[in-house]
Amino acid sequence: MPSDREFKTALLFLLPLLLTVLAFIAVPVAGTIYDSFFRDVTFLPRRFLGLENYRSLLADRAFYQALLFTLLFTIASVPLEVVLGLVFALILNRPLPARGLLRAAVLIPWAIPAAVSGRAFELIYNFSYGLANYLVLTLGLSDAPVNWLGSSYGAFASLVIADAWRTTPFVAIILLAGLTAIPGDLYRQATIDGAGTLQQFARVTLPLLKPVLMVALLFRTIDALRVFDVVYVITGGGPGGSTNALSLYGYQYFLSGDFGYGSTISVVLFAVALALSILYVRVSGFGRELA
Amino acid sequence: MKPFSPRPLLTLVAALVMLLFCLVPFGYMVLTSFARQPDYLRKQEGLALTLEHYHDILSAESLHFLDYLRNSLVISGVSAACAVAIAALAAYVLTRLRIPGKGTILFGVLAASLFPQVSLVSYLFKVMNALGWINTYPALILPYIAWVLPLSLWILVSYFAQIPLDLDRAARVDGCSRPQILLRVILPVAAPGIFSTFLLAFIFSFNEFLFALVLTTDYQARTIPVGIALFQGLHGEIPWGRIMAASVFTTLPVVALTLLFQRRIVQGLTRGAVKG
Amino acid sequence: MKRSAVWILALCLGLLLAGCRQQPEARLTFAVGGAPAELDVWEEFVRRFSVQTGIAVEMLRQPTDSNQRRQGLLIPLKSSQADPDVFLMDVVWLAQFSASGWLLPFDEAAAEFFPRVLDLVDRHGGELVALPVNVDAGLLYYRQDLLDRYGFVGPPATWAELVAQARTVQTGERSEHPGFWGYVWQGAEYEGLICNFLEVAASAGGEIVEDGNFVLDRPANRQALAFLTGLIHDEPISPPNTFTQMKEEEVREAFQGGRALFERNWPYAWAQHQAPSSPVAGKTGIAPLPHFPGEESAATLGGWHIGISRYTDRPEQARELVRYVTSFAVQKEMALRLGWNPGRRDVYRDPQVLAELPYLEQLRGIFDHAVARPVLPYYTQVSQVLQRHLNAALAGWVPPEEALRQAQAEIEAVTARYRLH
Repeated sequence: MPSDREFKTALLFLLPLLLTVLAFIAVPVAGTIYDSFFRDVTFLPRRFLGLENYRSLLADRAFYQALLFTLLFTIASVPLEVVLGLVFALILNRPLPARGLLRAAVLIPWAIPAAVSGRAFELIYNFSYGLANYLVLTLGLSDAPVNWLGSSYGAFASLVIADAWRTTPFVAIILLAGLTAIPGDLYRQATIDGAGTLQQFARVTLPLLKPVLMVALLFRTIDALRVFDVVYVITGGGPGGSTNALSLYGYQYFLSGDFGYGSTISVVLFAVALALSILYVRVSGFGRELA
Repeated sequence: MKPFSPRPLLTLVAALVMLLFCLVPFGYMVLTSFARQPDYLRKQEGLALTLEHYHDILSAESLHFLDYLRNSLVISGVSAACAVAIAALAAYVLTRLRIPGKGTILFGVLAASLFPQVSLVSYLFKVMNALGWINTYPALILPYIAWVLPLSLWILVSYFAQIPLDLDRAARVDGCSRPQILLRVILPVAAPGIFSTFLLAFIFSFNEFLFALVLTTDYQARTIPVGIALFQGLHGEIPWGRIMAASVFTTLPVVALTLLFQRRIVQGLTRGAVKG
Repeated sequence: MKRSAVWILALCLGLLLAGCRQQPEARLTFAVGGAPAELDVWEEFVRRFSVQTGIAVEMLRQPTDSNQRRQGLLIPLKSSQADPDVFLMDVVWLAQFSASGWLLPFDEAAAEFFPRVLDLVDRHGGELVALPVNVDAGLLYYRQDLLDRYGFVGPPATWAELVAQARTVQTGERSEHPGFWGYVWQGAEYEGLICNFLEVAASAGGEIVEDGNFVLDRPANRQALAFLTGLIHDEPISPPNTFTQMKEEEVREAFQGGRALFERNWPYAWAQHQAPSSPVAGKTGIAPLPHFPGEESAATLGGWHIGISRYTDRPEQARELVRYVTSFAVQKEMALRLGWNPGRRDVYRDPQVLAELPYLEQLRGIFDHAVARPVLPYYTQVSQVLQRHLNAALAGWVPPEEALRQAQAEIEAVTARYRLH
């Protein structure tokens, strides 16, 4: 049992942490949930609505469109980033000249703010003079410039690529840590047993990397679900609302002065994120040893 | 004699492809920032280089680029420092003292990082508004501290857990109090870890967008990502050269930090991940 | 031990306090947004006002982006803050701002402003709550030299003529300029798309609000949307990125770079087209937008209006500032220096102004036929729905009738939410 004095110390040391998290995360979340039960519009008196906002949301086609986009974006970008990140990590884990520099170079996309790299991609996808069309035309892949952001598929893919560019390095570095932690003996043993490269990967690398992979997946999934800046900058939700993310949809309502409905959208997004996190934790046993 | 193996060559090619993937967009940004016109890829006459965009963003006061940069540096620096300090105190308790509910605290805090910003932002806005802090540094610093705390705590806990308890015991025998142990024993030993945590917290705050978009209104507190995202001319014209110059100029310190402290950043990121 | 914790808390508190901005003392706060160069001109006006009247004014510089400007005003107004005392508003926010009770009414008569504009947007419940600082309306820009070369007499009066002329010139020009287009306009998913659509719809005899109810799915509206979609997909005389990237400035660049015959834009583009460095200087003409046979030309009303916050702590000084900004002298200077179309009618008759901006003569008539976007406090929400569906139709994913039907249903749902309770 901790002594009284020790307990007081512990409390005092934990206080700043608990206060900050409580004041700037827990309370705002609770406040948002509370607001979602109200009509909170600048030009009408505030009124308790009960579940009315949620009922409206269920009938709101734009909401379903945003929910669908957000889920599809997550489903498309997370596996891409994790697979690409794994490839990067495997490359970085090989003996190569200037490994340190190589790692640093890989980290560059991650260090650039997403809003800033978003603008770079906005220019890359520019119909008249962007890099993407320049490459396509120069390499002869198409004889007319492609309207990248003009179809829902194109805009979707463009966003996934821009997002993958930025976040793959993050995944790669986390996975690299997992790779370096795998003892070399295991590979040597596998080689002696006659396992080829692929078999080694399947039998040694993947199983041992699983915990780290799960961490990367969880982080990326949560991050992809709340995607905001990339979409805000590159497509603004268009064309035809096909790339409107839930975060952006909620923000649009805040911006137009409807805080109640905006909060309702945020609560749903939060619920989706929470449900997926719980699923991950259940499936992977993530962090079980810590508790 | 070893038989010829294509593997090193393949690795090298793969590494080059990877490097291209990571650097081409950045290179394009740099090139555009020096190009007189952003449509140099289409025009026959080709690329005319100029420094005018850099000159513009650094000298035209009305663009407020330097204000944004200063705001970003101060806000991210202070947020990261506070977050690391708070996280260090907590990490010390969580790794050194036997108190009930450790796992709950650790998980509670980690769970807090799962909330989408958009579900915090309307309420944060109301609170900051009530306090009259909209468009001031604290309006961003306080949420940022909370925002990067989970990550900082996670990393520091894994660092502190590796520091042998014998050190504490020896210090206790010498008559040190808990705070003294933290200050004189743990912190010096964990200095590299503290530093990488600070770097990561700094980069995360530096890159944050939504809070900054909603909680600030002008150059007095607006940060770089929002400043650049909204860099516009009259009637929505897009001054690509200036945007890219500002982006490159902003990215340089971060890239320099990354290049210099790549090992630290990697360590920081991997601590959090591998332990979990 | 305790001391260190106290120290940390003190540090955090200290930071908070250090970050607090000092409250400005007895000052009027005036929020204006725009491009940096414009704001510099505004600052000069404000300085002069302070010298003239002895009233200290702090100018709050807002960004260009209209959504950002709105957010910057919504935040303090929603929380009843005294600052800013005076601000500029986009014409489409007026309904929300006045319905939210954020605007202080003016008591004076405003004979020198366009009566139609005041009636459409500046009055709320019989009271005058805002005054136009600058007024905008959609216009057709055309290349006089190209029309001459291909033997067309004057700009098109009807949309069919526009299409015919555009097709001929585009085909002819393409041999030398592969990227040449007949007609460029604003079709990206944003507010400008609504403006473009409303003009074409009105020029087909359509409207979207009738007796306070939305009536999107009408033959004239269907005709307008089908026509716009056809410009991109059937003719095609408008570029494929019309519905993804084309906003005011992209359109202006295309026309100014000599890559288009016709352009729909706001009056601001004129000064830029006629600038000495512009490749189309001296070759550009201005006309009312075309219409469908038997109907009349229409132009969407845009522009910025000035208002006083209900929460201002110095209403008299605020009124003084509004009087100054809307005075003949300032409005005239704004026209001459910024190329803004003044909100006052008398400036349009000033010989010096007409000498420098001859197109103002034509514009005066256009403002008397301007079409306003729906004047509703929840217009933003309606606009978001409409933008999405119009844009989807332009993209060719949804037939125009279907897009309008869906928009109608969704807008009714939005309307129900804000109307019923």
